[in-house]
Amino acid sequence: MAERVSYQRLPKVRIRELKDDYVKFELRETDVSIANALRRVMLAEVPTLAIDLVEIEVNSSVLNDEFIAHRLGLIPLTSDDAMRMRFSRDCDSCDGDGQCDYCSVEFHLNVRCDSDQTLDVTSADLRSTLPNVCPVDVAHRVLASADPNSYDSSDQRGILIVKLRRGQELRLRAIARKGIGKDHAKWSPAATVTFLYEPQIHINEELMETLTLEEKRAWVESSPTRVFGIDPSTQQVVVVDPEAYTYDQEVIKKSEAMGKPGLVEIYPKEDGFIFTVESTGAIKASQLVINAIEVLRQKLDAVRLQEDDSDFGELSAHLHGGG
Amino acid sequence: MGAEDDPSASLKTLAAPVKSAVDKFQLLPAFLKVRGLVKQHIDSFNYFINHDIKKIMKANDRLVCRYDPDLCLRYTNIYVEEPSVDMDFSVEKLTPHLCRLSDRTYAAPIKVDIEYTKGNQANKKPEIKRGLVIGRLPIMLRSCRCVLSGKDEAELAKLGECPLDPGGYFIVKGTEKVILIQEQLSKNRIIIDTDSKGRVTASVTSSTHETKSKTVFFIDKDKIYLQLNQFIKPIPIMVIMRAMGMESDQEIVQMVGRDPRYGTLLLPSLQECASERIYTQQQALEYLDGKVGSANSARSGNRKEGLARAILLDVFLANVPVNQGNFRPKCIYASVMLRRMMDAILNADTFDDKDYVGNKRLELSGQLISLLFEDLFKSMNSFALELLNRAYEHASRSSPLDFVHYIKQDYITNGLEKSIATGNWDVKRFKMHRKGVSQVLSRLSFIGALGSMTRISPQFEKTRKVSGPRALQPSQWGMLCPCDTPEGEACGLTKNLALMTHVTTDEEEGPLISLCHSLGVQDLALLSAEELHAPGSFLVIFNGLILGKHRQPQRFANAMRKLRRSGKIGEFVSIFVNEKQHCVYVASDGGRVCRPLVIADKGISRIKEHHMKELRDGVRSFDDFLRDGLVEYLDVNEENNALIALYEYENDKDDSEKEKDDVKRSSITHIEIEPFTILGVCAGLIPYPHHNQSPRNTYQCAMGKQAMGNIGYNQLSRADTLLYLLVYPQRPLLTTKTIELVGYDKLGGGQNATVAVMSYSGYDIEDAIVMNKSSLDRGFGRCIAMKKYTVVKETYSNGTSDAIVRSNKEKVGSNMQILDDDGIAAPGEIVRNHDVLVNKFTPRNTRDRVSRDIDYKEAPSKYKGPEGETTVIDRVILSSDTNDKLSIKFIVRHTRRPEVGDKFSSRHGQKGVCGTIVQQEDFPFSERGICPDLIMNPHGFPSRMTIGKMIELLGGKAGVSCGRFHYGSAFGEPSGHADKVEDISYTLVKHGFSYSGKDFIYSGITGYPLQAYIFMGPIYYQKLKHMVLDKMHARAKGPRVMLTRQPTEGRSRDGGLRLGEMERDCLIAYGASMMIFERLMLSSDPYQVQVCRQCGLLGYYNHKLKAAFCSMCKNGDNISTMKLPYACKLLFQELQSMNVVPRLKLTEA
Repeated sequence: MAERVSYQRLPKVRIRELKDDYVKFELRETDVSIANALRRVMLAEVPTLAIDLVEIEVNSSVLNDEFIAHRLGLIPLTSDDAMRMRFSRDCDSCDGDGQCDYCSVEFHLNVRCDSDQTLDVTSADLRSTLPNVCPVDVAHRVLASADPNSYDSSDQRGILIVKLRRGQELRLRAIARKGIGKDHAKWSPAATVTFLYEPQIHINEELMETLTLEEKRAWVESSPTRVFGIDPSTQQVVVVDPEAYTYDQEVIKKSEAMGKPGLVEIYPKEDGFIFTVESTGAIKASQLVINAIEVLRQKLDAVRLQEDDSDFGELSAHLHGGG
Repeated sequence: MGAEDDPSASLKTLAAPVKSAVDKFQLLPAFLKVRGLVKQHIDSFNYFINHDIKKIMKANDRLVCRYDPDLCLRYTNIYVEEPSVDMDFSVEKLTPHLCRLSDRTYAAPIKVDIEYTKGNQANKKPEIKRGLVIGRLPIMLRSCRCVLSGKDEAELAKLGECPLDPGGYFIVKGTEKVILIQEQLSKNRIIIDTDSKGRVTASVTSSTHETKSKTVFFIDKDKIYLQLNQFIKPIPIMVIMRAMGMESDQEIVQMVGRDPRYGTLLLPSLQECASERIYTQQQALEYLDGKVGSANSARSGNRKEGLARAILLDVFLANVPVNQGNFRPKCIYASVMLRRMMDAILNADTFDDKDYVGNKRLELSGQLISLLFEDLFKSMNSFALELLNRAYEHASRSSPLDFVHYIKQDYITNGLEKSIATGNWDVKRFKMHRKGVSQVLSRLSFIGALGSMTRISPQFEKTRKVSGPRALQPSQWGMLCPCDTPEGEACGLTKNLALMTHVTTDEEEGPLISLCHSLGVQDLALLSAEELHAPGSFLVIFNGLILGKHRQPQRFANAMRKLRRSGKIGEFVSIFVNEKQHCVYVASDGGRVCRPLVIADKGISRIKEHHMKELRDGVRSFDDFLRDGLVEYLDVNEENNALIALYEYENDKDDSEKEKDDVKRSSITHIEIEPFTILGVCAGLIPYPHHNQSPRNTYQCAMGKQAMGNIGYNQLSRADTLLYLLVYPQRPLLTTKTIELVGYDKLGGGQNATVAVMSYSGYDIEDAIVMNKSSLDRGFGRCIAMKKYTVVKETYSNGTSDAIVRSNKEKVGSNMQILDDDGIAAPGEIVRNHDVLVNKFTPRNTRDRVSRDIDYKEAPSKYKGPEGETTVIDRVILSSDTNDKLSIKFIVRHTRRPEVGDKFSSRHGQKGVCGTIVQQEDFPFSERGICPDLIMNPHGFPSRMTIGKMIELLGGKAGVSCGRFHYGSAFGEPSGHADKVEDISYTLVKHGFSYSGKDFIYSGITGYPLQAYIFMGPIYYQKLKHMVLDKMHARAKGPRVMLTRQPTEGRSRDGGLRLGEMERDCLIAYGASMMIFERLMLSSDPYQVQVCRQCGLLGYYNHKLKAAFCSMCKNGDNISTMKLPYACKLLFQELQSMNVVPRLKLTEA
């Protein structure tokens, strides 16, 4: 390590599409390692809240206690405050009991069916002690009712927990805690996080012109996704949507089969990634990305601080070049 | 997705050839509605209850006192009522579920009406008594006497019963028992075979209500002999013929046949008879009397005369009836047997095949129970008679002798219950001792339960190393499943019924026989020996009995078939013209396997589209098809007269295709209903089984029975000893028609997992699979294990009983935390190892009468389970068992998530254990964000050749993307019951996937794209019952066996792991002597002994005197102390006890 070359790059982000639970953005001028680290952190290390402890008082439903507890755990809760909250294991005010306001939120569920129709117990029946922490779909409905322009979602009854018939009852106390997806998937805020390399497509125009219109059409059709199209005016093959390309190489195979290899060249761009992030609704998709960057930074900070203490443990050997 | 967004569907329907042939699939559900999957069991049992039991009663209906013929009893009627139980002087109806929960037998009273006379009474007018209970008969579920018969879903639910449960089993003492179908060689038929010495034999196993016998003819050194158990040695056949009145050699030869070749073959036998100087019937009988076995002669008290004649009448070919001592039918029968033997010698093709399914009969529960009942009924009667006779001898004339007192209910009740509970069928009269006739119904999975209802247990012992009976028989086609058989010793012997198979029950013979005669069958009695085998005429054989002959066999057969199709005679009567043997076989006996087929006239199906429409509209049922002569049942023999096409083709295809199959369309007589019905229930679950290597399907048949899932709609109210349930069972994305027919889609046994076929991490070698932790978190493979623990509150002979006492819960650190106020653990509590379930006390003195205060000692029943696991008490059931003791049943529930080592399998015989569990972020992902649930190593494919699994993956992937369940029924592509790969690929491409099912995938660890395209999509995975938690075991110190002081054996006893002989050999070879010493002695059973150097025997150490002493030499001078294994010391002492003196010679080490 004689000279320290700076490989530092300043990645650029361009947001293409942004919804509450969906974001699509480009990440450019960086490396796979960064892109993948971001993906992994979004999946596994961005904290959210989820029900972690269930105390069942009465359960005469058909599903057993563990079953219901598991289902409760998987209900996404609005966790906008999760970053600020404490992990119950290092909460000072409750000695890790996980029963205090700094690290937990309490829920109550008290349903009894007295009618002849089966009663659906849903996430809407969960009563929270904190107004800003509630099941995601309930929060949605509140927002929707406040905003008259949004689509009507009143037909949705929330996430089904269990169905009760006449005389059955479910009464329980549940405590939601902060956690990360690494520990249990219920804490993962991301439904889907994926990225793809942006494909670069070069059509060999000269060679393409040797094809007849029929051949062009057949060639365009050979791609299972609509990547190419034929310009109706010039009758030239044009790239319609490069990102629709799934690296299936069908067009390349097709051109070889047609006896015209090299008709098109496609290779992935090494430093451009298109991310697709879908959130469970626990936090907004945009917030998810921001939180992920924050978590990633904290982790890097931890490494950097450790370097000063030169207390790397096992890691130091690797870091300092096989020492 | 609408039809217009899915052009694949519309295009496919357009591209599909115009459906010319009628879609006959709808017949299948209609068939299953009337015949059902276990209908053969139920039919057979119903037949027993409604007909057979009456016949048995009629055959034994009179009991007469030995001393007073006026003192008698006559049964006039017998009937079985609905299941009930006597409880405290009232009769309560039983439901199956109540029986399951409270360990009762689901049995109904058998009642008789009797006429009887009482002793010592002036008027001998018979008294009539109705409804006398003579015993209790376990009732088959869903039979006509079962409370469940004819109930709809809601009523069944009210009775706590699952509507999908097929019934067909019994409940005996709370356990569900199936009486397996027993396979047997058909009775009363001539079988030509070779024996172990290579001799040609003709054998008949005769079975009538009275006797069972086996008659064997065999050829030894060109001479023919009869072998019968009653005769001590083989009898020359001609002696037998003479004894039956055939004194003329010419007639015998004529009867066998005039072909000179037969004569030549018969000559040595005739000569032998002549050389014995036996010419007349009298001489023959005298000769035979000398050959009667001692067992027989002893019975009739050394009076040998006439014995042979009795044997010939009653035992020899017992199935042939003899009218007033007329031996003629037996002669003819014997001559037909001889003729067939000669044929076999002249032409080896005419040997019978014992493994041919047409020569087999399946014995069902009804027949088996009837055997047992008959025996018990007879012994009950003779026992009652015996008691009466004894009472008559020293009767106090004050009280009248009453037959009713001597008829003991327990006889039949206990006999039936015991046999069904243990599976031991012992009928002394027939020398029948069969074990394992009944089995516990396996409730591990729904399919397992169904599978055990269709299982056929073999006639041979499993140890025989023969391949013949194990091989797949061509005649099994459509009757027995070619896939479903176990591996290992029972392979090929234990079989399973196919989907549409029906097993016949007996049918009334009389009307059929007279029908045959009126259709032109010439009676035997009217024929001379010469005419018997006249060329061009066929013998008509009805249920193994020669009725006569017919000159126009084909016309006769056609007439019979016509009558059958029009419903004039039973639908299961089979008519088979055997051209080779010049015989027409008519069969109406029970136990034949048959299946429905569509009748075709010159290759054109009789079922037309309008018939099917009527079926779909519900105005036509399967029975209507049968009645209208559109469908008929064919048994294996009659199938030989039929030409069965797989599909009907409207018009003959072009000439090239006509040439390919050299069958004329006009000669086709029948058409299969659906080709996938050749498979059974278990094999029917496999998608695309016809693309798999065949053993894989067999493996899956075995594994499907171990898969967890749903057992039935009543699974949570059942109390099985062990029950595994899946938390989120799913319906397979790739279904088959069989799955829908049997209800597997409602009671699934697995989950659809997205599988990536790739190598990952090295923890997937040798069929291991890598699982996604997030999938497991979300509930994949999660299962519930429910176990039953029973505690009985015992009562003792002295009137004392156990006490269950409330405990002091507050005691810190006690293991009584979960007890309720009544001293019994409460439902919903978390129970840990060694927790007390019942705080029970037993009296110290259980023998003598004790006065008021009984001295109790603690006897808590504790829970034993895996350490560190939290199990929950699900339910506590208090009930009284059959002995009226309180029994407390705990159902303990444990929810488990998959862990490393748990066993999983797809539906293609591809089992594997979970090799490692990996975080989702490390899992590969596609650019659509799809991340597999599990990863399977591609090496599983090349050697196994399970192409069906690949197609399942493709079809499943297409299914999830277009939202339609895809089908993969066996051989279903031509009929549209299986989606073709081409269509699937088309759907995949439509939804932006590669036609090959491969995806472009990124590594979750690095983010780089993988070098290869990965075959990825959903496959239905089953979780099998083998779980690490139930098997893992380790021990450091622990319990030892008392006798040898060595560590105990086995996991259940916390045993040690054995260092066996082979392991020991390794250590010896390696030279690790100290290691051997440590393993075999120090870690096992070290012991210190005192050895006397003088006499070499063991002495002892006297702790009081602090000195060792040899009790042999009476001194302690030459004692050495040494160590040896306790087992060694034990051996020495045991040898000494047998007067062998082991002496130790010690040298300085």
